[in-house]
Amino acid sequence: MWIDSNAYIGHWPFRQVRNSTCKDLVERMDANGISASVLTNFNGIFYKDTQAANRETYDEIKTNRKWKDRLIPFAVINPVYSGWKEDLKESTSKLGMKGVRIFPKYHRYSLDHPACIELVKRTRDFGLPIGLTLRMVDSRPSSWLDISNEWRLSDIMPIVQAVPDAKFMVLNVSGSTQLEKDDLELVKKTDLFLDTSGRNIIDLGELLKTFGKDKFGFGTHSPILDYKTGALRIASLREDEADAKTREDLQSGNIKRFLGL
Amino acid sequence: MNRRKFFSTGAVSVSGIALGVHMTGFTSKEKPVEENDLMKEVMKYRKIDSHAHVYFTADSPETQIGFADRLGIDKLVISRPMAPGSKGIPEEFIACNDLIIKSMAKYPDRFIGQPTVNPAFPKEAMEEIKRCMDHGMTGLKLYNHVKISDPLFYPIIEKYIDMKMIILMHMGIGKSRVIFDAREPENVSTPDDFVIAAERYPEAMFQLAHLAGGGDWLDACKAVRPYPNVFVDVSGSNNEADIIPFAMEYVGEDRIFFGCDNSFFQGVGHVMAADLTDTQRKKIFFDNYNNVLKKSGNHVDRQ
Repeated sequence: MWIDSNAYIGHWPFRQVRNSTCKDLVERMDANGISASVLTNFNGIFYKDTQAANRETYDEIKTNRKWKDRLIPFAVINPVYSGWKEDLKESTSKLGMKGVRIFPKYHRYSLDHPACIELVKRTRDFGLPIGLTLRMVDSRPSSWLDISNEWRLSDIMPIVQAVPDAKFMVLNVSGSTQLEKDDLELVKKTDLFLDTSGRNIIDLGELLKTFGKDKFGFGTHSPILDYKTGALRIASLREDEADAKTREDLQSGNIKRFLGL
Repeated sequence: MNRRKFFSTGAVSVSGIALGVHMTGFTSKEKPVEENDLMKEVMKYRKIDSHAHVYFTADSPETQIGFADRLGIDKLVISRPMAPGSKGIPEEFIACNDLIIKSMAKYPDRFIGQPTVNPAFPKEAMEEIKRCMDHGMTGLKLYNHVKISDPLFYPIIEKYIDMKMIILMHMGIGKSRVIFDAREPENVSTPDDFVIAAERYPEAMFQLAHLAGGGDWLDACKAVRPYPNVFVDVSGSNNEADIIPFAMEYVGEDRIFFGCDNSFFQGVGHVMAADLTDTQRKKIFFDNYNNVLKKSGNHVDRQ
């Protein structure tokens, strides 16, 4: 079984991005043998009021009763915008959201902002994960209107240090995975999940040894990135790099455990 | 097990997450999603990596061969361009080409070697091209010391027309941000430079490097669309899903080359992911580049 931990719907405003509806996503899932997808709405990055995007996600999934079994929506919450606590509550209790995504670079706050720390703590208390994206798009050819900087893995350590018992998802690992010794030890102890969509997942076999076999799982970052590369990093592992159990965990076992599925 | 027993086992998390029985593998009215064998599909295709490199490091070229074996890449067209911002003097490009000669000797069945030169040294550049051709290299790899549209390149382009070989030129990174990436010097080639060169020399063949390599691929495809002698390779680390569909629409299925530029998973992955017929995928992975090699008699599987 394959579960995609990192997919999107919605409108990307800087260029045409195809295949960005729930219908498109489910068709691709069916064509590629993907059982379920964790999804986030692009619109939550760009709307001032992110809750409108979360309601759009809920409404879209509701249009087909089969989709709720296969699509796992995450809410976008902006903790420096008014009403975010009510938005979080509505998202988790009424809109069926199974986690939270934050976009500090787009919403212009730092990871150690008190409101961000409070959001992570509240999400933790709901038993839900917080998703952080190291890169939405490659900044080099990105639009002149888009942000121009990206994160490395070490850049997220302030929030991990602030709330070490939260559940963190780290998506599209495009920057360096190098960590100081203490930070690496903290990451190993933290309930933290990294998906395989990012360009810096180069030697997955070695990363499993460094971070732990339970820390990684399949993700596509589609429809921005292609639908196969994240899977290829797992499928091409040799027997000496990943036995059948590890492979299955990478495909779906780790994300199922992480999300409590 | 039915749905009631599933809930009673405590399999539902404290947040109340529960998926349908389809997800848990229990008996369901839904037909289970069929998994497909990705590696079997990947290995089905012969591949020529039209944009590859080896490095002055202890692990090269074995690291590149390792990735190629893992992903079923038959041949890699390797070069070693001079470092960006270097002086670009003949000693540098000769040393780079010596590395290629050494790598080709080590893996003669896997590597197709491409020389690099600096046209700012016209005599030395021509001598070096001859030396490299005598060593069995083909084509030419250029980086960002001199624009492809610069008159310094005219004698070299004319030579390559005679040899019926392709010229692979780096495309500048970051044009969509209006200014180039800080690492690019002022002589980096833009798609407009390819247009100037292609218009002047319609018999020449140019390869616009790495659509997925950090340059504005939308802009590049639109610029070179009218020029059948400009090919594009889709190598690079930025495997945006719409690159190949856009290139198919604007450049066409006969002018696209598979390549990795050392980002092997992305290089193979996005060709596998693109909505292509089997024939189109074969063209991109192998046939298109092999047809170019055939013009000079350097094609794969030649007798």
